[in-house]
Amino acid sequence: MASRSPGTGWRLLAPALIVMVVTLALPLAALILLSFWSQNGFEIDRSFTLSNYWRIVEPSSQPTYWFGIPFPFAYPVPAILIVKSLLMALVATAAVILLAWPMAYFLAFRVTRGKVVWLVLLTIPFWTSYLLRVFSWKITLGFNGAINSGLMALGVIDAPLEFLLYNPVAVTITLAHSWIAFAVLPIYVSMEKIDRSLLEAAADLGDSRWQRLRRVTLPLSMPGTIAATLLVFIPTVGDYVTPALVGGPGGTMIGSLIQQLFTRQDNAPMGAAVSIVMMLVIAALAGLFLWAVGYARMRRRMAP
Amino acid sequence: MTRRIDGLFWYAVLFVLFLYGPMMLMPLFSVNDSNFATFPLQGFTTRHYAAMAANDSMMAALRNSLVLGLGVAVVANVLALPAALALTRYRVPGSGPILAFMMLPLVVPSIVLGVALLVIAIRVFSIPLSLWTVAAGHLVICIPFAVTVLMSRLEGFDPSLEEASGDLGASGISTFLRVTLPLAMPGVISSLLLCFIISFDEFVISFFLTGTQNTLPVFLFSQLRFPNRLPGTLALGSLILVGSAILVILAEVIRRRGVKPEGGAL
Amino acid sequence: MNRLKFLDKMSQGGISRRDMLKASAAFGVGSVLLPRPVLAQGNSLVCLTWGGYDVEDYIPGFKEKHGSIPSFSVFGGEEEALAKVRAGFAADVMHPCNYSVQRFVNAGLAKEIDTSRLSNWKDVFPALQTAEGVMIDGKVVMVPADWGNSSIAYRPDLIDPAFVADPSWGIFFDDAYAGKVSMLDNELLIQIGAMVGGMTYDEVYAMSGEPLAEAARTWGAKGVNVSRFLWTDASEVQQAMASGEIVAAYAWNDLVKNLKAEGIPVEYAIPKEGLFTWFCGLTLLNSGAADEQLAYDFVDAWLSPETGKLLIEGSGYGHANMKSFELADPAEVAAMGLTDPVAVMRDAILFRNPPDEVQNELNRVWTDTKALKQ
Repeated sequence: MASRSPGTGWRLLAPALIVMVVTLALPLAALILLSFWSQNGFEIDRSFTLSNYWRIVEPSSQPTYWFGIPFPFAYPVPAILIVKSLLMALVATAAVILLAWPMAYFLAFRVTRGKVVWLVLLTIPFWTSYLLRVFSWKITLGFNGAINSGLMALGVIDAPLEFLLYNPVAVTITLAHSWIAFAVLPIYVSMEKIDRSLLEAAADLGDSRWQRLRRVTLPLSMPGTIAATLLVFIPTVGDYVTPALVGGPGGTMIGSLIQQLFTRQDNAPMGAAVSIVMMLVIAALAGLFLWAVGYARMRRRMAP
Repeated sequence: MTRRIDGLFWYAVLFVLFLYGPMMLMPLFSVNDSNFATFPLQGFTTRHYAAMAANDSMMAALRNSLVLGLGVAVVANVLALPAALALTRYRVPGSGPILAFMMLPLVVPSIVLGVALLVIAIRVFSIPLSLWTVAAGHLVICIPFAVTVLMSRLEGFDPSLEEASGDLGASGISTFLRVTLPLAMPGVISSLLLCFIISFDEFVISFFLTGTQNTLPVFLFSQLRFPNRLPGTLALGSLILVGSAILVILAEVIRRRGVKPEGGAL
Repeated sequence: MNRLKFLDKMSQGGISRRDMLKASAAFGVGSVLLPRPVLAQGNSLVCLTWGGYDVEDYIPGFKEKHGSIPSFSVFGGEEEALAKVRAGFAADVMHPCNYSVQRFVNAGLAKEIDTSRLSNWKDVFPALQTAEGVMIDGKVVMVPADWGNSSIAYRPDLIDPAFVADPSWGIFFDDAYAGKVSMLDNELLIQIGAMVGGMTYDEVYAMSGEPLAEAARTWGAKGVNVSRFLWTDASEVQQAMASGEIVAAYAWNDLVKNLKAEGIPVEYAIPKEGLFTWFCGLTLLNSGAADEQLAYDFVDAWLSPETGKLLIEGSGYGHANMKSFELADPAEVAAMGLTDPVAVMRDAILFRNPPDEVQNELNRVWTDTKALKQ
């Protein structure tokens, strides 16, 4: 087709790109600029400095220990929080993908009628507002909550279990619940396009169900699975509301530090520097992930 | 249709339970005669629903969020579909960096985006804050999701269908409407749903970009200081949850009746 | 910006655009150098307030006098609201609290208030009229409106009787109560710890440097580990207390009133180290476009005893107007744990605002204390 030229491609990209440049480029430029300034009382000192970045990485001979891990920094808080947020996001993302994958498979290969209804039903819990969802989890996991009351009524336990809420497990469950639709839908979308004749061919060649899953479905659903992993992982690193609400006193994350620096601590330049370091770490990890799974090769292979 | 009752089927059942189980406590406590959501239950009441209906600002916030969510979902997809097509179907130089740029809103902390967009709206463009400014903010964070979902649908599709349509003399638009769009449809529906829930649920950016018309999350967060109002919000949540589920199922039932007038058995 | 310099300018009747730009430069987005346009918000009064206060019930007579109620923009936390106003959101009136108003003044956003234009000012508790936060450097910058106490609420049916006999803030640092109490998510925890250690509030409120770091290491770290969660909103702590998840919590009067209304046993302690009083109020912002008289009428309506009665009976908060306690149902006042509001106001510790640099240090130390929790 003649129109498959870069020119047409650019024209198709233009509207979305223009919107993104207008709304995103300026904030980003400002953020970068801000991170090289410094806060002096209530004023911003506009002379160029690397002090904000230096403060994040400044080494110290006396490491601060956090769960036995040494952090050899003079100001270890950003480093500790980044590590903690990454770990939390990793665990939550793994849980989300593992839970979502079979469901997406069910939707793509088992549901034959009313798929749209299924898709909508999967998203309806998210129409009720984040706050109410977290609240629901609190009354599910809480001291006098549904699980404890149910188990006590059944005579399984005598006293309420206290370890259900306000800990990393509660954070993982709540996060998994919050993001599950963001994983099911992309994975479903990429499975949906798998050519059924490929599966039949594999079956004809004597592949078992598991072999078909491993040799056909899994590789072909990879683009969606990769997309879902990133769509869940990246925003989760910066999420600080869920950990604060169900994580107990240890629920401080890198996002909370950034928010505090921009508001209560009145140190926007430092907040900008921490944001940029966080963004770079996430971008590097995302790049590493895409390289490890061979995403570029995958795209080239699929390219027309 | 034969429905297999195997492990996968039970998994789906459990999945739906995980998704809806905790949510079902909302309707339960919305009719519980107490201001606190604790067991044991106290008795039946509809007073929380009366409180909800009497709360004009909550209803206005709900309306605002619905309009916003629908609008943002549609516009985000109108922008994202051509972009996803370009990135999957055309050899655009620099498509890697472009894609990376489009994913940026995922990494930028929302407080940074919220404050920066507020400053830009007011100081650069002199736009008074309204639902339009909120919509602009939501659009930015929706585009990465829409583009990703649509791309994972469009990637790897055999372009020969579109080419055939072109060879048969169909114009670009008619090829798009008759071939490309139907092909992309599962992706479009998924991406519409995702964008809707992102916009409907977003708090930080909405807070900074709203004027005097509040969105539902902004309204709900602002109610936390008054615990007596909590049951009213539970009533609203229940109504949304149960109401939309019933509506969707009803619509499907009616659609099937339309397909099979004899009321056909499954 | 130097606060005194700012107040001088304020008293001379205005803040220059340059000052506004400097203030907004806190968010330093490159565009601060651009001219600040006047936003056409119409002539209607724009009020930035807590969600729930955005109704006409709290401003009796305003609608009758002016034909309509103001436009409201709501928030749930002052820090975000401050950030929004700083970034350029134009509002006429804002509802901050004693611990946050100074930040609005420092940011160059507040106007001096002429109390002679408020008919209800004479009935405001004398302690509140001159409290830190109402007055900053001798000028009234916030009209106190709603207030309450901060003390320990406890479940008498679940708590050790030893606490009831001799209530102390030490409960938040006591391993015996680990996972059974909840403190507010605030640096106050460090200061209260130091008070439990024997210091007075006047000695701890502006503590900084090494003494603060030391208190954070001993008391802060301990307190963060003892609390089941650090609460950020009243709904969260009241729900947990109602369910028995926690047996004691840092609480305002409304918790006591709300739980009692549901028949849940709860009492309000008067700890031996003292009980605190906080207050919120109305500040006039210089970014608004509406007629100033509208703003004064709004504030005056908020100060009326009828508003106070509604606040006391409806949400369990106190009101700045002494007369509202005469108007309100005595049973409702008692349910808040207040028998003699005037005496409580006199004897309780009124929260004070440390100097800005100390406040910023406190905020940082508190965030770090939580971040380093293991």
